[in-house]
Amino acid sequence: MPDINTLIEVALIIVKVIVVSLILFTLPIPLTWIERKVAGHIQVRLGPFRVGPHGILQPVADMIKLMFKEDIAPDKADKWLFKFAPLFAMVPAFAVYAAIPFGDKITIPIINKEVTLYISDMNVGILYILAVGGISVYGIILGGWASNSKYALLGGIRSSAQMISYEIALTFSCIGVVMTSNSLSLLDIVKLQSGTILGFIPHWNIICQPIGFAIFFIAALAEINRIPFDLPEDEGSLAAGYHVEYSAMKFSFFMLTEYLAMVTASVLTVILFFGGWNAPLFMPEIPIFWFVAKVGFFIYLFMWIRFTLPRYRYDQLMTIGWKILLPLSLLNILLTGLFLL
Amino acid sequence: MGKLHLNTLTGNRQTFFVAANLSAFFKSPMNWQTTDRMQNMTNILKKIFFIDFIKGLSLTLGYEVSKSVTMRYPDEEKWLPYQRFRGLHTLNRDAQGRELCVACELCAKTCPTKCITVVPMEDDTGIGISDRIAKVYEINLVRCMFCGLCEDACPTTAIRMGRDYELACFSLDCAAADKKRLLAPAHPFPFQEGIQKSPLLGGDKGVGQEFEGGYVVGARLERNKQGISIKPDLTRKKRWW
Repeated sequence: MPDINTLIEVALIIVKVIVVSLILFTLPIPLTWIERKVAGHIQVRLGPFRVGPHGILQPVADMIKLMFKEDIAPDKADKWLFKFAPLFAMVPAFAVYAAIPFGDKITIPIINKEVTLYISDMNVGILYILAVGGISVYGIILGGWASNSKYALLGGIRSSAQMISYEIALTFSCIGVVMTSNSLSLLDIVKLQSGTILGFIPHWNIICQPIGFAIFFIAALAEINRIPFDLPEDEGSLAAGYHVEYSAMKFSFFMLTEYLAMVTASVLTVILFFGGWNAPLFMPEIPIFWFVAKVGFFIYLFMWIRFTLPRYRYDQLMTIGWKILLPLSLLNILLTGLFLL
Repeated sequence: MGKLHLNTLTGNRQTFFVAANLSAFFKSPMNWQTTDRMQNMTNILKKIFFIDFIKGLSLTLGYEVSKSVTMRYPDEEKWLPYQRFRGLHTLNRDAQGRELCVACELCAKTCPTKCITVVPMEDDTGIGISDRIAKVYEINLVRCMFCGLCEDACPTTAIRMGRDYELACFSLDCAAADKKRLLAPAHPFPFQEGIQKSPLLGGDKGVGQEFEGGYVVGARLERNKQGISIKPDLTRKKRWW
């Protein structure tokens, strides 16, 4: 018979998992609206405006539409893989959040119990996130292959080649951060970024690792398939790329994955390079506010970049990945090592 | 951002630049200092600090905070055309309220698409300005190309093209505009000689000739038993751009 404290701990973890999953499931709803609004305003339009005030109910309308659309599978598709590919893509996107800390710990006022704001503090946190995040590409490849369509297949192949090229640079750019903080745990990495250098510069890794940040950011853009690296779903040449044959809820699972990947990339950027939940200079510490604010800024930045830059050609993408980012990331590790010595 | 391929950092172009710089150096050291090499260095620095990238982002940010040019047409605002606009025709009346049309059929004859049908009749009860008025005056709006030749042909300035352009409808009934629809109602601002356009915007929209066009006015969409109509609100007006 386990004692009452263990039961409470278990219950707490279950509650946290449910809360995080619910937040992640509902997060793409406002994000699609925000993305379309950002697109509209950058192009001097209004964006969605008809459903609800300022089109705020547009994603709800879209959701209803996606739910009631006919779920079409091509005749010659591999039915089983075609059905499960969206899940293969979606599950890793959720699984990543098992290791992501949103804050240190807060005390719930009434029951006076300390709650940690993360599901688990893995001592190999960053390794786990990069590994599980990398699995997500299987969904894309399988979806592209199972559709039995040339566009989808090309999208899937492009995606796999792009992932291989940029995963290396992404991981290497994280090594610099790991070296300076001497830990793979994201919690330790954030804790080391509190305080200031010389009293007026925040002790964030962006200051110590500017090259690492640049590489990480560019590689993350490529990892989450966003412009200027959205070759797998290149509308111009591949119609919609790997999800061209998908409709209804299966398609929306791919969309969900994409938005979650964007959130994950923003969260990782904030945790690794922008001090996590540490407040900027001389600002009061509010438990989760600064984390959300920083993540929000990076999500906005991803959208902003999407409607600013054109898409790279495929050979340019490969050139940037292998000839520039990879040597630079190696150089970054070398420089970090020299500084640490 | 298009220049961010960094191909000047690597490969043959770099060697070429170095060679060009060296030869320039041996020819005249001053030029080497100030032109080629400076240019080359600036380009590399630009790439390192993502200058073009930041320029692009600031440009889109500028557009993001700028005001949108979208006109929310049926619900909020509508475009009021210039006075010279050629929209739905009107048959005008004079200051006493008599019809100006004398059914001379010149408009029908000059019409390139032959969309105007005029049937004259005699009438001495004072409906028209003479004893000849139009029994039937019908314009087939589907065939009309709004060229305005009927306006030019009319000797009594009876037919004038108005500013009403909302001619879409749900049935074929409205494709032909009959006399009842075209005839301008008696209006406190009657048609005057010298003014080349109709006193009304057309139909019963109530926008008079005196209103100069070329801007966006407030509007609202009204649904009633007669159908859908757009009521302009002339008190709110602004330039579109």
